[in-house]
Amino acid sequence: MKNKRQRQQALEGYAFILPGVIYILVILGYPLVYNVILSLKNTNVKNFAKGTSAFIGMQNYSNLFKDPTFLLVFKNTFIFTIACLIVQFSLGFLFAILFSKDFRIAGPIRGLVLVGYMMPMSVTAMLGKNMFGVSEGVINDLLLKIGLVSSPVEWLVSSKTALGAVIAVNCWVGIPFNMLLLTAGLTNISQDILDSASVDGARPFQRFWYITLPLMKSSILAVLMLGFIYTFKAFDLMFIMTSGGPLNSTDVLGTYAYNLSFTKYEFSQGSAAALVLFVCLFVVGLFYLKLITREDD
Amino acid sequence: MNKKSNPFIEYLKTPTGKKNIVYSILAIIIAVVFLFPLYWLITMSLKSDSEIFGKTLTYYPHNFSLQPWIVNFSDRDFLQSLRNSTLIALLSMLLSMLFGIPTAYGIGRYKVKGGKVFLLIFLVTQMLPASLMLTPMYLTFSRLHLLGTYFAPALAISSASVPFIVVTLRPYFKAVPVSLDEAARIDGCGVIKSFFYIMIPAIRTGIVTVTVISFLNGWNDLAYSMTFNVKPEMRPLTANIYKFISKYGTKWNCIMAYGAILVLPVVLVFVFLQKQIVGGLTAGAVKE
Repeated sequence: MKNKRQRQQALEGYAFILPGVIYILVILGYPLVYNVILSLKNTNVKNFAKGTSAFIGMQNYSNLFKDPTFLLVFKNTFIFTIACLIVQFSLGFLFAILFSKDFRIAGPIRGLVLVGYMMPMSVTAMLGKNMFGVSEGVINDLLLKIGLVSSPVEWLVSSKTALGAVIAVNCWVGIPFNMLLLTAGLTNISQDILDSASVDGARPFQRFWYITLPLMKSSILAVLMLGFIYTFKAFDLMFIMTSGGPLNSTDVLGTYAYNLSFTKYEFSQGSAAALVLFVCLFVVGLFYLKLITREDD
Repeated sequence: MNKKSNPFIEYLKTPTGKKNIVYSILAIIIAVVFLFPLYWLITMSLKSDSEIFGKTLTYYPHNFSLQPWIVNFSDRDFLQSLRNSTLIALLSMLLSMLFGIPTAYGIGRYKVKGGKVFLLIFLVTQMLPASLMLTPMYLTFSRLHLLGTYFAPALAISSASVPFIVVTLRPYFKAVPVSLDEAARIDGCGVIKSFFYIMIPAIRTGIVTVTVISFLNGWNDLAYSMTFNVKPEMRPLTANIYKFISKYGTKWNCIMAYGAILVLPVVLVFVFLQKQIVGGLTAGAVKE
C-alpha cells in the first residue's frame, strides 16, 4: 500500500514539475544548442533564406580573436564589469549597513532608492544620455558651477570618458540592487551575537571584521557573482545611451554580437560572439550555482 | 517642558526613542543623490520647448508646460506602442505564471527523483543573456512565421521569467506547513483543489511579487521586442524612445515625458507593494 502511495506522490510531483521543465527546455535549450551549431557554420541573411549555409568549423572563432575590434570589445566588457562590481558592491555594502540601523526613515528611503533598479533600462540609458550631455547635460552644468572643470567635459563624445559615464549610470542601478541583497544578509545576523561581542569589549570595527563579515561570507559571494552575471551581459544601456560608440569605446560583447547578427546580418559570426559571452558567464555561473545549492536539501 | 524640539527631529525618533540624527542625515543625502535623476526626468518633462532649447539650464520648470505629455498622448504611434507594451507584458506574464508556478510548487513540495536537476536547470537558465538567445530565436521564429507577432517577444521574455518564478517561489512553497495540506486532503480536497485554494493563497506575498516582476520583465524589455518586431507599429514603448531625436535637435522634454510614462508602472508598484517585492526579490537570490 505504501509503495502505491509513493508512486502516486511521484506522479503528482512530475505532473506539476514537467510542463515548466519541458517548456524551458524547448524555448531555451533548443536555441542554445542551435546557437552552438550556428556558430560553426557560415549562415548569413542570404544563404539562410536559400538554405545553402555550410559548416566551416572554428573559423568564426578564429576570425573573432584576430579582430582588433573584438579584442577591444572583450576588454571593454571586463573593464565595465569589474569597475561596476567594485563600485556597486562597496557602496551597496555601506548603504546596506546604514539602512540596517534602527532609524525612522531607513525603510522609506531604502524603498525609494530601489526605483532606479526596477525601471526600464532604456529610460535609464536615455536619462544618462541627457545628463551626460556636453552642453545640455546637468552634470557638466553642476561641475562648471562648483568649479571642478573649466570647460564642459565631452563625456559621451570622447572615447576616453564614454565608458566611465556608462559605468556611472550602471552603478546608479547596481548600488540599490547590491544594497537590497546585502541588507537581507545583514538582517539575518542575530543582534545577540553582536551585543555580546560589545559586552566583551569589541569595538565597532572589530565586530564588523570578526563577526559580520565572516557570517556574511556566502551572501557576499552570491552578490558578487550575481552582480558579475547581470553586469557582464549588459546590452540595453549601451545600445540606447551610446550605441557602443564613440569608436567602439563602449561596445561590449552583448552589443557587438547584436550588431554582427542584426546590422551586418552575419548570423553565424553573431552567434559565435554571443557564445564567447556565454562561456565567460558560465564559468562564474558555475561557482554561483555551487554556492547557492550547497547544503540545500 | 519648556524646550520643545523641532517637530521633524521628533518624527525621526524610533519607538525606542533613538533619534539617530547622523544616520538620518546620511540617508537623506543618499536619497537626494539617487532620486535626483528621477526628479530630473519629471521636471524636464514639464518644461516648454523654448526652455529646453534655451541658453541656460534650468533646475525646475520656469514655464510650466504640460505640452510634452499632451504631445505624447495625442500621438497615434505612441498610443499604439503603449498598447504593444501592455499586450507583450501581459502575454509574457501569463505564459510565465502558467508554467512557472506549478513547477515551483512541484519542486518545492514533492520529493521526486531528479528534483535537484530540475532546480539546477532553472538556476542556469535564469542567467542566460538575451544577447545569446537573440540570433537562434530570431532564425527559429522566422521559420515558424512568428516574427512580427506579440508571441515572439512574449515567448522569449517568458524564458527568463519562468526560471525567476521557479527560483523565487520554491522557498515560499517549501515553507508552507505540511499540516495545512494534510488537513485539506483529509477534508476531501483533491490535489488540484488544494493547490488553488490552499497553497496559492498561503503564499500570496510571493505570488504578488512574481506577478509584478514578470509583468515588468515584459514591460521593460527592449532587446527581444526590437529584434523580433521590426515594423514600427508592433514595437513597444522601450524600442521607440528614440523618436524625438533628430538632426534638428533633441526634444528632451518630450523624451522625458515619454520616459516618465514608461516608469509610471514601476513607481506605482513601489508605492503600493514595496514590502512584498523587497522580500520576494531576495528570497531566491541569496541563500539564507
